[in-house]
Amino acid sequence: MEKKTRRDFMKTLGVSIGATGVLTSSLLSSCNRVEAVSGDKIKVLTAGGQLVEVDISQLKPAEFPSLSENQERGRKGIPGKSWVMVIDLSKCRNARECMKACQDHHQLRPEQHHINVLQMQDAEHTAPYYMPKPCQHCDDPPCTKVCPVNATFKRDDGIVLIDNERCIGCRFCIAACPYSARVFNWFEPRDAEKYEGVTYNIEANVPQKKGTISKCLFSADLLREDKLPSCVSACPNGVYWFGDRNEDAVTNGTTKETVRFSELIKDNAAYTLMEELGTKPRVFYLPPKDRAFPFEGDAPDHHDA
Amino acid sequence: MYKRINLFIAVLFVLPAFQVIGQDWVVPAENSAIENPQEYTLKNVKLGKDLYMVNCKSCHGDPGKNNPLPLVPVPPDVVSDQMQSNSVGDLYYKMSIGKGAMPQFETTISEDNRWRIVNFIMNYNSNRKQLLEDKPPVKAQLLASINEDDGTVNVFAEYEDKGGDYSKLVDVPVIFSLKKTFGNLELGECITNENGRSDFIIPGSLIGNEEGFVTIVVSLGEDYEAKDVILENAKICMSKEVPKLIRQGVIWSTNDNLPMWLLLSYIGMVGGAWLAIGYVVFQIIKIRKYSKE
Repeated sequence: MEKKTRRDFMKTLGVSIGATGVLTSSLLSSCNRVEAVSGDKIKVLTAGGQLVEVDISQLKPAEFPSLSENQERGRKGIPGKSWVMVIDLSKCRNARECMKACQDHHQLRPEQHHINVLQMQDAEHTAPYYMPKPCQHCDDPPCTKVCPVNATFKRDDGIVLIDNERCIGCRFCIAACPYSARVFNWFEPRDAEKYEGVTYNIEANVPQKKGTISKCLFSADLLREDKLPSCVSACPNGVYWFGDRNEDAVTNGTTKETVRFSELIKDNAAYTLMEELGTKPRVFYLPPKDRAFPFEGDAPDHHDA
Repeated sequence: MYKRINLFIAVLFVLPAFQVIGQDWVVPAENSAIENPQEYTLKNVKLGKDLYMVNCKSCHGDPGKNNPLPLVPVPPDVVSDQMQSNSVGDLYYKMSIGKGAMPQFETTISEDNRWRIVNFIMNYNSNRKQLLEDKPPVKAQLLASINEDDGTVNVFAEYEDKGGDYSKLVDVPVIFSLKKTFGNLELGECITNENGRSDFIIPGSLIGNEEGFVTIVVSLGEDYEAKDVILENAKICMSKEVPKLIRQGVIWSTNDNLPMWLLLSYIGMVGGAWLAIGYVVFQIIKIRKYSKE
């Protein structure tokens, strides 16, 4: 029997390893191929939360944004921006389109509100008015400071976000927020089965998770695509102005008119809510003067029509 | 196809419903009979058009283009029979008082101006002579260059005449705006001179991006069909300041925002306390040891 040298052994080892590699990779690639049979349709949920139907032959495996990448990007914010919202109370007629658009975008149940239109009367003899109230995105937010797990945080572009992968549901932030801007997922979120398996997008807080906090985030996922937040573009009455304070411009969601933020604020004597608390809100209100619509109490639900 | 038929049936049923809603709005007889105190002149119609564009267009759409906002009921087009079947008094009453989605403009537009808008609507009435005619937009060309030293934009405009030749556009407003994140901020306009040329000084107080670059959009009014000139990356403005919002100095919840001095002094204090305790314990052990000896 001939004696095998160490060199011979290494040679056979190398060849067999190479062969196994080729075999496995070809096996794997055959598994990955999607059968291209046209005519069959499949239902797909888009990142925006819409259920669409596409031909199965059109399907290609997509690069899924990884959760950790989403979280890292979501914490950094959009460089150079400083988002502000201006709400013109004289234009609001309680159409509630903002609330509807928001609930559709952020997977909220009917009783959950990131933005809520309130009926206000400041004192006994003052005029009642409608007031949409989103998160105020304070520059000195009380809510982020009480979070024991760093789940809620302030970004450099001004938005206060929540990471429901970190949230433990202690609800300290709900107690700390003077504007009652936060909601808790007491039950399974709306359309939970539709969102199963979708990678969590921290900038839309979708999919929602039972037992965690949710809050308004100025539709940060849309801002990244240079689109206005969903409540702003849904308003039919020109109530909302939104823009970048650093470049001193805000755009109306209805008319798409762009004006200088500083002039709008100055000319209309804008105010912020509970400024005495020193929270420095980013949502500015124009007083309900010269109103376009009379106050009618509980307005009829326009969505039934 | 099936869906389309469904939609068609739905539209068949819903359309009359809208008309009923529209006709439901009864104007008191004394208001309906009021005549327009503003004269029906070209000047008043033009002023009415400007007011319409600012206050009404967002819902009612452009006259004759049938592009209203999809509200319930749908705001009627200015040219439509639903609108034109109203008397001038009806129109004035309805725009003043408002109903449902229609705002009450008596709080925001003066009486004279409301009558001017009525004049503009009457411009499309079949019983009246049309004073302001909608001409199709004229093909035009716009050239613009920017002088970064003094912040002036030089403009030259020309239009295509009937013969197909281009000749200079005289006495026409050119609109300048600044590109912002969600839209264009209008800066102002200038009128072209007899050579079809014009200059516009960009105010230096504008805010550009972090490096001070801005994008200026130059456009002709809607009477002309011309490509907007987009002057990109002009360095004529102040650069945008980006203040830091995230404050350093919290020791809890956010490790990233923890300043080094706070971390070191915290660790130093805790470590010092443990050292002191350790020293005491060590001394006690030592005393025990000596007492045994």
